[in-house]
Amino acid sequence: MDLHDLTAAYALDALDADEAEAYERHLGQCEECREQLAELNETATALAFGTVAAAPPERLRASILDAAAAERANVVPLLRRRWVARGLAVAAAAAACIVVGLVVSQSQSTQKQVFAVFVDRNGNATITATGLGSAPSGKTYEAWVIPATGPAKPAGLFSAGATTTVHLKGTVPPHASVAVTIERAGGATKPTTKPIFSATA
Amino acid sequence: MNRQLAHLSDEALVALAARSEQTALAELYDRYGRAAYGLALRVLRDQALAEDAVQDAFLAVWRTAARFVPERGKASTWILTLVHRRAVDTVRREQRRRADSLELAPEPATEGVEEDAWLRLQRERVQEALRHLPDAQREALELAYYGGFSQSELAERLGQPLGTIKSRMFTGLSRLREQLGEPGTEISWTSTT
Repeated sequence: MDLHDLTAAYALDALDADEAEAYERHLGQCEECREQLAELNETATALAFGTVAAAPPERLRASILDAAAAERANVVPLLRRRWVARGLAVAAAAAACIVVGLVVSQSQSTQKQVFAVFVDRNGNATITATGLGSAPSGKTYEAWVIPATGPAKPAGLFSAGATTTVHLKGTVPPHASVAVTIERAGGATKPTTKPIFSATA
Repeated sequence: MNRQLAHLSDEALVALAARSEQTALAELYDRYGRAAYGLALRVLRDQALAEDAVQDAFLAVWRTAARFVPERGKASTWILTLVHRRAVDTVRREQRRRADSLELAPEPATEGVEEDAWLRLQRERVQEALRHLPDAQREALELAYYGGFSQSELAERLGQPLGTIKSRMFTGLSRLREQLGEPGTEISWTSTT
């Protein structure tokens, strides 16, 4: 069986289980197939839009969200909630400004990451990050201001420390988002990776 | 409906879902739930099974959002791939279709369905692109994708060598890609509110 030949069938979910497994193992070693699969998979998925989309029953949305909430309910430990409350209180007291976003996350290394964004009445903004590790070699953290419409604007590069405070370039208009991505050293003109943090004013 | 995240990209929403932001999952559902359900219903032809497939897929999004890699493809592609895979797994497990003839279920009637305008345009565009394919290639794509038939089943039932089926799928998808490929008409969510 020539595994290169299976890319289209895999993209269409037209392989039997054992063929699919063999192909997935092959993918791990074949850059060419990975690239081709990304393309063909996108085209195969276009077929999803080629059929009449009847409205799902209303109950399905609630059912999904309830099940999701039930699954994740135990994941937020009390400690984390205290961190959040404490971060908010300290920030509000110190800056007398508006907290627009605060995200606490547990990275893969179990390091706690806390991001807080403060925007004052003039739109000047600060991101405070705690527990953020150094950016990977050859990369940098880049902050962005993303208006409600229009492209993201670069708002500064930074590297991480134990606690990092970044004053953003430019101002944050109402309803804009602030995000942080990891970009190649020197920064990018538009975000190229998934934000590690984003919040909306 | 809470649309406070409406300006965020699909990929940003997946990132937020990875951080247990439930409103992000809700927004993704509001964008793709309808296409997902339409697809599952087309493959499964059973409302209860289609609902299960969509629910399973969105919970998989919720559970594995942290592992989503935007460089490897769009979030919408990822979500609908999860839906399709579950629908196909189910239809093969159910075995009911095995007794049916190879005929595809007819395209569901549009009458009486209040179709979202944007989704209607997308549907017409994909159907138009499919019409440009040679019949044998279109048949292979439709039977595989909407019918859930594996390449081996298609080879057997169409009385063709497996290599022929593989090549119809590959050439068919490549041509479809060209047909759909005009810039600026990429299929993805756009704000309708």
